[in-house]
Amino acid sequence: MKRIIISHETRQLFRSGAFRALLLLLAGAVAFAAWSGQRSIDRQIEGANAAAAFEDGHRNKMRADTEKYQARVAAEGGEYQFASARHGAGEGPPQGTNAGVVGSATAKYLRLPPTGLAPFSVGQSDIQLSYVPVSMNPAIHITRDNELENPVNLMTGSFDIAFVVIFLLPIFILAISYDLLSSEKERGTLAMVLAHPISLKALMVSKIAARAGVLFAAVLALGLAALLAVGDGLGSFDTWARFGLWAAATLLYALFWFALSVLVNVHGGNSAANGIALAGTWLALVVVVPTLAGLLATTLYPAPSRMELTTAARQAQTEAESAYMARLSEYYYDHLEFVPEGDERAMDFLTVAMANRNAIDKAVRPLHDEFQSQLNRQESLVRRFQFISPAIMMQLALNEISGTSADRYEHFLNQAFDFRDEWSDFFTVRFLRRAPLKPSDYDQFPTFEYQEEPFATVLTRLLPSLAGMLALLGGAILIPFAGLRRYPVATS
Amino acid sequence: MLQATKLKKSYGGTEALKGLDMTVEGGDIYCLLGANGAGKTTTISLFLNFIRPDGGTAAVGGLDVAEQPLETKKLLAYIPEQVMLYGNLTALENLRYFSRLGGRDYSQGEYRGFLRRAGLQDGAAGRRVKTYSKGMRQKVGLAVALAKQAKALLLDEPTAGLDPKASNEFSELLLKLKADGAAILMATHDLFRAKETGTRIGIMKEGRLVDELSAGEVSHADLEKIYLQHMHVGGRYA
Repeated sequence: MKRIIISHETRQLFRSGAFRALLLLLAGAVAFAAWSGQRSIDRQIEGANAAAAFEDGHRNKMRADTEKYQARVAAEGGEYQFASARHGAGEGPPQGTNAGVVGSATAKYLRLPPTGLAPFSVGQSDIQLSYVPVSMNPAIHITRDNELENPVNLMTGSFDIAFVVIFLLPIFILAISYDLLSSEKERGTLAMVLAHPISLKALMVSKIAARAGVLFAAVLALGLAALLAVGDGLGSFDTWARFGLWAAATLLYALFWFALSVLVNVHGGNSAANGIALAGTWLALVVVVPTLAGLLATTLYPAPSRMELTTAARQAQTEAESAYMARLSEYYYDHLEFVPEGDERAMDFLTVAMANRNAIDKAVRPLHDEFQSQLNRQESLVRRFQFISPAIMMQLALNEISGTSADRYEHFLNQAFDFRDEWSDFFTVRFLRRAPLKPSDYDQFPTFEYQEEPFATVLTRLLPSLAGMLALLGGAILIPFAGLRRYPVATS
Repeated sequence: MLQATKLKKSYGGTEALKGLDMTVEGGDIYCLLGANGAGKTTTISLFLNFIRPDGGTAAVGGLDVAEQPLETKKLLAYIPEQVMLYGNLTALENLRYFSRLGGRDYSQGEYRGFLRRAGLQDGAAGRRVKTYSKGMRQKVGLAVALAKQAKALLLDEPTAGLDPKASNEFSELLLKLKADGAAILMATHDLFRAKETGTRIGIMKEGRLVDELSAGEVSHADLEKIYLQHMHVGGRYA
């Protein structure tokens, strides 16, 4: 019986020009979103390549200089020496032999590799750079280029597939289901149908199943096409597992909106009233609540301005410079093994600079930590708020699935901070020992390989959002079907 | 076949049906007469389980409608004042859909046969029904009843607004269905049609069945007189 109604409803849908237009519109939106999502991922990759090429070029030039110098030493005899920072240009050993210069004047760019599904949900990746510079400079420099206060980006987000799913898909769903029962009632066909051995519940379920089936087939096909067109790592399990999660989350989210349509329809109002009620609900759940949640988060836990952070760093630097003699003594006091032989008070610009860096790092660290923890508090407030809006849940879920979540970024930054220490130690020790860098040493520089989180971690973080949507869906299904018994088939 | 026992229904404190008792047997065409609001449509809606009774029972083929709505609907066909169909489907597609909902499926030729028997001209069967006149839609409604092989028909002013020829064709078909043994309950305002096609006539007023007549035993003139007497305050026996 249900099968008969489902095939009838499906045929009805496809005979309607409005529905066909809607499908075309959806296809167009997904195509544009996929293109736009890929563009922003491509821009990141290009940016990372350009930055890395620039820095590597710089280092390669230094290495070439040391090779020339090594050849000269071999030809002319003498000792392969460490370049002091104070000697004039063109004389003596090249700067490339000085580990302090190489380690601080050139940066190593670390990359957070995009997942195969990254173009689906760009997240905040356009303001949180997926490539960060690491050098001997203070750790705060790692995130210096991240623009957290770009209001335009925060307001508009980007037109990616997540946007289509979260904002547009509910509109399509409501457009094909807002008059689920009311239109049949207004057309007079409801009484004709219900004069046959079919219950209102079965009719409702079949009508929803037909619409959900067609819409979901379309969304899945479009998503698959988008994945094949702009996805990456199509041969890897990770990409397909993420796509599976994307499909599951999208199905849950779509079903919620269908259930909402049922909920409104069983109240027996006319189509216009249903339409207005549903449009209002969409506005509240998708636009108003998320905006209020964001506003509340930034009001309750205002993040210190990045400008403040920079000013504090400058101030610390000025202080450090004014007291550098004292600091130098203090530094050598802590690290007696590095005091240059023969000259206890040997003064080297780079040693001072290194001491300064340490001082700045110490001064700025508390502010930086506070900055990060405020952001974390904002984030966790939004996380708690997600349960009143499926749109927030879905955004968090899709960011997680696409690998653009704040948590994965933090995982990356932590690795970057660790690598910064490794990088810095490597050069600091060689510099303070005045050990000249040889060309072969350039192959020994620390290398960075991003360690991906285990998939189970991603699933664990995804769980609250998915469970929340499931609960919301359950509620949205149970309430209306309990109300169906009172639905007035005949009036008067 | 159709039986109402002390059937009651009120809407928000107003009693629309005040303990109706009536029976329609197979081979009967029972015509319900009465002013608007007398309770005719309410009676039909109760037999269809579109609304729930506040007292008494409506039974079809011996089964209580409120308890076994799906079973009783297998026996019923319903033709409202306006047969409403899916405008973007053809008559054949509409007929096939409703027929399958009723649990029966036929060949295309058989569906065409039902439409022909219901009086729809051959060329129209493959056209989308949004272009149909009311008379044509009523014929599709009858074809649905034919295909369903319904044991009981509930008709709610099915000929209202039809031209005399269409109305006559409709009555002819009812007579054929009656001859096949169907129990037919028809609410109508058409005294002439009730006398011509009906076997029994019931007059309803303010939720009560105030009179029952055998169509063969009254003349047109008498029927009209009796009806009007009831409609005046106090009714026939006042």
